Amino acid sequence: MKKTAAQLQTALMREYYTWFSKYAKGKRPEKKVAWVTAFTPVEILEALDMLYYYPESYAAVIAASEKEQDLLNESERQYLSRDCCSYSCCIEGCLQLENGPRGILPVPDILIATNNQCNTLPNWWNILAERYQVPLIVIDYPGDIMDQESAFDYVDKQHKKLIKDLETLTGKTMDYDKLRNMIANSQNSVSAWNSVISCLPVYEISPTDLFDGISFLITSRCKEATAELYRLMYEKLKEKPAAAKDQIPVFWLGYPLWYHPQRYLQEVLTGYRIAGSNYITWWSIDYFGNDSFERLFHAYNYTFLNLSQENRNKRLEAFISESGAVCAITLHNKSCKCDFVSAKNISIPQVEIEIDMIDRQFLDISKVKKQMDIQKDVLCSI
Amino acid sequence: MRILSLSEFIPEQICDIIRFTQYHGDRNINHYCGYVSDFISQVRYDDSIDGCVFPRSCDSTRIMNRYLSGVDKFVYQILVPARQDNLAINFFAKGIADYQKAIEGYYQQRIDIIEQRIEYINTRNKAIERLYSFLGDISYFGYISAIHDILKKPLFEQKIENCHMASNHGGKKVYLTGSFLSNLAIIDLIEKSGMLIVGDNLPESGRIKSNKDYKQEDDIYEYIAECILKRRTSPTQNNFQSILQSDLDEIKAKNAKGVIFVIQKYCEPYLYLYSVYKKMLEANNIPSVVITVSHSDDIGRAEMILETFADTI
Repeated sequence: MKKTAAQLQTALMREYYTWFSKYAKGKRPEKKVAWVTAFTPVEILEALDMLYYYPESYAAVIAASEKEQDLLNESERQYLSRDCCSYSCCIEGCLQLENGPRGILPVPDILIATNNQCNTLPNWWNILAERYQVPLIVIDYPGDIMDQESAFDYVDKQHKKLIKDLETLTGKTMDYDKLRNMIANSQNSVSAWNSVISCLPVYEISPTDLFDGISFLITSRCKEATAELYRLMYEKLKEKPAAAKDQIPVFWLGYPLWYHPQRYLQEVLTGYRIAGSNYITWWSIDYFGNDSFERLFHAYNYTFLNLSQENRNKRLEAFISESGAVCAITLHNKSCKCDFVSAKNISIPQVEIEIDMIDRQFLDISKVKKQMDIQKDVLCSI
Repeated sequence: MRILSLSEFIPEQICDIIRFTQYHGDRNINHYCGYVSDFISQVRYDDSIDGCVFPRSCDSTRIMNRYLSGVDKFVYQILVPARQDNLAINFFAKGIADYQKAIEGYYQQRIDIIEQRIEYINTRNKAIERLYSFLGDISYFGYISAIHDILKKPLFEQKIENCHMASNHGGKKVYLTGSFLSNLAIIDLIEKSGMLIVGDNLPESGRIKSNKDYKQEDDIYEYIAECILKRRTSPTQNNFQSILQSDLDEIKAKNAKGVIFVIQKYCEPYLYLYSVYKKMLEANNIPSVVITVSHSDDIGRAEMILETFADTI
């Protein structure tokens, strides 16, 4: 019998959280454990039968559980400035106090950081390496500044070296057919997810479902079940009523607010509906190429946050145009400089809001409300 | 050409660059490194500057092109590898060759004295290293001011002179760490507080080391790349372990009684480094203090902090 979406979600989550301290009860997994950043080529790790975990995602879970403030305070006591990325501060507090809604992540055997979203993550991974005294591998992705041939040569050699290093760590030999299958799974997940998010401008959908739903594309993109889960989600979304025409379509430009029950500022958006968001497209990476290594290169070198401003602008313009949004809420996220500049030249009116995606105290909601009211007046007078 | 350069990763071997030190810019970008912001201001508003070069090595520099868009000057970003192995050296070498081509194209000048420049830089660095070995006896303020002065001059005019003896000889020995020290008033305050700087890991000082000699058979770009990447590491190079180890060794060898950390606000590489550096110092019972500055000519609360610190060590 085919599994339902709820069953698939539960199975994926159970698989992911099994070895978190709350459930592992002191046991250690037999498989080797890596902590990875959100745009790590995990297909390589999956093919080598490793377990891998995303501290960034767990920070989002912690904030959603309303547990972040004590942990942020603790990280300051550990000399980590509150000016640093709040994902890292939240996890630093969590590890120090060994306290989180699902306990702490299983202790890593290796740390893998990439710089295809920002340069902060490799810095953060350095302090994790100090904490656990385990090897740190940094994969350097030049993005689109360098010519493609040189960039491919550099990234390809790093991917091959990563395989060699992980073969040594795990004592296993890479099965290249399995790697090809993992990449195919990821491609299927991306494709199914793209169908899901295409529903946002068309149907009456809560963006909360998409902000939460994308977590599987981040943590489980090369699992076979993920594409099936998104296929079922898409079928369900298509049954929703059409999007209300009397509400102003707005583009949400930036991170979800993980601490907020709806992940966005629903309370100040009366009369608006979110018709698009760039965050939910970040993992729609393109596994384009003739073989596994070309595909991994394209997928991970040309992530949205690793593009030049010019190419980001082009992508954003396309997303906004597809969404039909007539204005944007642009989040100036104190934790993420690299996303500050996403909103340059987007050609629709924007309200810029100072936020942090984890730290709920970093928001002046009354100021935002005023900004949105002014925006509405301006739009209605056009 | 008058090209303003932001960091230690910019290859001086290719052409003359003016090392950015300080600018009284009024630009203020929220949650963004004030030092980088001041660099952007100088590039935009200082007419004596006709170009700029900066690395992609941290989040502030990564997104600088956005703030420099529309500037009608030579604007160039060099990709600095986030690692130091041979793969990174080969990659960086290609980037340096591309940088040279870009300059030749923009300024319509052929660059053909790289070997001569390499030789001059190596001699200069040996002179800086020699002076560095006398820290504790010579005036640190005189030493670091001399370095800042020469880094603004064309390479072949860069001559490092001997420095005066330290007037605070016998002061409390301290070690200085942080990013490029844009405001030397902090040094003046350290010395006036009765402390004597015996070592540092600043990019313009302690991180400079003699390069191996260049040989004709070497690939010139790989040689330059290796010289830059194999220096004592910056936190942007993602090898905190090597920084902690080499700094601790030097602090102990020089019998420093305390460490002064100077950090630019919103400079993540140093903020992350600080969190583990501070713990390392605590584990070794070495007192430390941090001065946070918000832009290139700020000294933060240095005066009060340093006086108190001097009393405690």
